[in-house]
Amino acid sequence: MLEVTLIYGFINSIILSLVALGFSLTFGISGVSNFAYGAMYILAGYAVWIFINKLSMPFFLAVILAVVLTAGLGLALYRFVLLRVRGLVISEVIATFGVGLAILELFRYLGFTTFEYTLPVFTDGSIEIGNTYIDHQRLWIVGVGIALAVGLYLFTHHTKLGLAFRAIAQDEKTALSLGINSDRIAGISVAFGSGLAAVAAVLILPRGTISVNEGYDVLINAMAVCIIGGLGSTVGVVVASFLIGYAQMLTDAFSGPHWKMIVSLVAILIILVVKPSGLFGKQKELEERI
Amino acid sequence: MNEATNKTNEVILSVQEVSKSFGGVRAVVGVSFDLRRGELLGIIGPNGSGKTTLVNLITGFVKPDSGSVKYEGQDITGWMPYRIARLGIARTFQMIRPFAELPAFKNLIIPLFSPRVKTLSGGKYGDLDSVAKDLLEEVGFERESSVTYKAAGSLPHGYLKRLELAKCLALRADLIILDELFSGLSIAELASIVPIIEKLMVEGKTVIMIEHRLRELFRIANRVVVLNYGHAIADGKPSEVMERDDVKQAYLGTE
Repeated sequence: MLEVTLIYGFINSIILSLVALGFSLTFGISGVSNFAYGAMYILAGYAVWIFINKLSMPFFLAVILAVVLTAGLGLALYRFVLLRVRGLVISEVIATFGVGLAILELFRYLGFTTFEYTLPVFTDGSIEIGNTYIDHQRLWIVGVGIALAVGLYLFTHHTKLGLAFRAIAQDEKTALSLGINSDRIAGISVAFGSGLAAVAAVLILPRGTISVNEGYDVLINAMAVCIIGGLGSTVGVVVASFLIGYAQMLTDAFSGPHWKMIVSLVAILIILVVKPSGLFGKQKELEERI
Repeated sequence: MNEATNKTNEVILSVQEVSKSFGGVRAVVGVSFDLRRGELLGIIGPNGSGKTTLVNLITGFVKPDSGSVKYEGQDITGWMPYRIARLGIARTFQMIRPFAELPAFKNLIIPLFSPRVKTLSGGKYGDLDSVAKDLLEEVGFERESSVTYKAAGSLPHGYLKRLELAKCLALRADLIILDELFSGLSIAELASIVPIIEKLMVEGKTVIMIEHRLRELFRIANRVVVLNYGHAIADGKPSEVMERDDVKQAYLGTE
């Protein structure tokens, strides 16, 4: 029992960081909170399903195409919507949330609500650790999740472009005065984040049915992780994912699965009261803002 | 020789009748001046006279209501700041703006990574870290001392000012606009930063300095423009300009 909780808690934590990485990356670079994030995730899922089942595409081509498509949609979201409200934080939130609502509810309206919408796993089979069976898909999730988190950390800390991204996050005006087209970088950041949402979707969705409602859950989980870890911090995302991931698993084990979502919501409330900038947050301390 | 003299005399920046109002406040009103390559122009005036707005108008951070800005003959009025920077106009900000979480030398990676530097160095970026450390040494960071590796946000004020200068150098700017570089510096710090600017002049750079520390400015500037309530009320040699009654009045008030 403990072993199962430990192993599945670990997998659940990786899933949460996968879900949150894209949201965090976009904010970390450009300060844009992409509230259409959950919709992008679900859109990628349905896109893969349509490519495979309606257009008879091979699985991996469908996956790659869906990731590229979602990233492109992110770029379009920035170019045609966010660009005009840039810097007006409330407007950015309302605009992206509105676009997200439109995408998700459009799928509901079109009838994408039945149980036929499932994605195939990457590879079939399972391995046994101790007495716990783990299917291949969860191994894929763990492998890709860890690789992405480490890759993003190395990218932002040890490459020239990554450094440029961090500098823009720290002071956009100075970056502009030094010849950086911050709008272009911000557009790339939204596209990059949306692409990561699509990667998370094709890895995670095969565990169940694609449903519109999961779009909202994904957004809530991504927000919970980012609020607790501190927006824009890769380390924060990983630490917060493990905190919530294990908290959810323990709640699941001792109180039942329907309490899982409550954990994220309560965690958001607690951290907002105790340390509003999150555990690794970069927002200004209170005394600095006065 | 002849060509070189021509080049030093050419007008590099031409500001014509630029105006900007914020709400009802006329921050800059019909200001014009030409700047020749190799000049060091001081822009002075009381607080709120429109000096920083004028810099923002030149560098694209504020779009003028009317008038034009030309750089090397090209009309850059209303361009985005990053495009203007890529032409070779670098500026510092009155409130110093380092990339606070990056080590001092990594702050220079941004300008070093810009398309401008790439083009000027023939498509190769080279070893940016070592170029960055060279530049810091040029503005007075001791090579391989700990300040080079410190997070910029924790640097002493004097070093932050030097870092601002280094960023302009890293961009390989031809026109460098320094917004109150001298403010908050001790006499000793000034004594060590002034030679850096003098060296820039020797190298043929063109510099605009917004300053309140007039005595130090007048030692190095060949020309000053005086702003008052958004108007350019005087333009000429420092010694001549400061003799004018309207300038004295603007600075000292009517008494």
